[in-house]
Amino acid sequence: MEQIKNCIIDYLKANSFMDKDTKFGDNDSLTQSGIIDSIGLLELVDYISEKYSIEIPEDMLTPENFDSLQGITNMIFKLAK
Amino acid sequence: MSKLVCKKCVLDSDIPGIEINTETGLCHFCETYTPLLSQEKSEYLSKIDELFKNCSGKGNYSIIYALSGGKDSSYTLYKLKKEYPFLNVLAVQFDNGFISENAIQNAKKMCKVTGCDYFQLTIEKDILYDTFRKAAESHDAFPNFAKYRASDICNICITIIKQKLIEQAIIQKAPFIVFAFTAGQSPNPIINLSLNFIKWSRNLFEKQLQKIGVDDKDELFLIKSEIIENMGENALSILHPLCLWEYSEDKVLRTLLEIGWELPDIKDSNSTNCTLNSFACYNHLEKYGFHPYAFDTAGLVRSGEMSREEGFEKINKELSKQLIEEASNKLKLKPNNFKKSVTTI
Repeated sequence: MEQIKNCIIDYLKANSFMDKDTKFGDNDSLTQSGIIDSIGLLELVDYISEKYSIEIPEDMLTPENFDSLQGITNMIFKLAK
Repeated sequence: MSKLVCKKCVLDSDIPGIEINTETGLCHFCETYTPLLSQEKSEYLSKIDELFKNCSGKGNYSIIYALSGGKDSSYTLYKLKKEYPFLNVLAVQFDNGFISENAIQNAKKMCKVTGCDYFQLTIEKDILYDTFRKAAESHDAFPNFAKYRASDICNICITIIKQKLIEQAIIQKAPFIVFAFTAGQSPNPIINLSLNFIKWSRNLFEKQLQKIGVDDKDELFLIKSEIIENMGENALSILHPLCLWEYSEDKVLRTLLEIGWELPDIKDSNSTNCTLNSFACYNHLEKYGFHPYAFDTAGLVRSGEMSREEGFEKINKELSKQLIEEASNKLKLKPNNFKKSVTTI
């Protein structure tokens, strides 16, 4: 789980213009804290699908699964099993 | 530390969030850049080809097309209809209160040439001006992700267009929405929109509007909730074919001029259709210290569609003072209201 989380943090740091020192909690909203927008979310979906070779069902594209590090990590863990 | 400029593109270390590796001399975007291979591009084009050929729209149109009347959207419409003459296209031009008369004429002409229906989306000017004014006066209201892709004003405008085109596609039961984004502007050539995602992106935009002090209770900018509820099982995709085609500004202009498109009469190095763009760039530079087209231009340079010299020329070109003044007058804002003045960029 921790490995998945770090991988997502690295992706966000490299692709979302986050300052190096930005800190955010596992349950902080990525959209409300200004880290990512709707286009960024679509790019993130693509990245996750490719990186973990998973297909993300459309009904899983929800804030619960995609708006926080914890949500994303849980979702990948569930789908990659 | 003195400013470092990426050796490959046009981004530099003075832009917040941009890091230049001192060993390689590259920004972190160039370091991790993996271009779409020509084979991948062909695969995407084949997919689009298949989608169009198998499209069995239940409504009057197969495509809702975002037509600004500028060169890219005019060219993409022309090429699209040339390759797929059987597609029924509704071209939507958004009158944001700042489109040039020349852009309106060009859009109508392109529809005539290609045999597409033309629809002008209008919203009351005062409401639009008030919203653009609030976007100009806002600071850090948009995620960094959005801020680097476009100015705050352009982000508002393009998101209204996206919201209203999705709304139109649902109403018309059209399966595709097409935008003429270049490789530097669009992340993916094909985006499948699920109902959940449409609802979510609508809510995100609603919150962004609230953040700048706009309450869109009449859903003038947002997709109407009632319409989303009626989407049913209809599949909807956004397509960006231009980012898969070979792009050359010269070729695009040559083709367009041959078919009667007329060169714009506005002097803006980044837009051939919008008279608000210079002000929007000026405002962004004043607030954040970098050009809103820097990232887009860097993308074109990185992918080889523009030379580095052309890229620097584009983002360093002086903005039109006349356009800035005209737009700020319309918005009842004075350029010197801003914290510092920029005469050249």
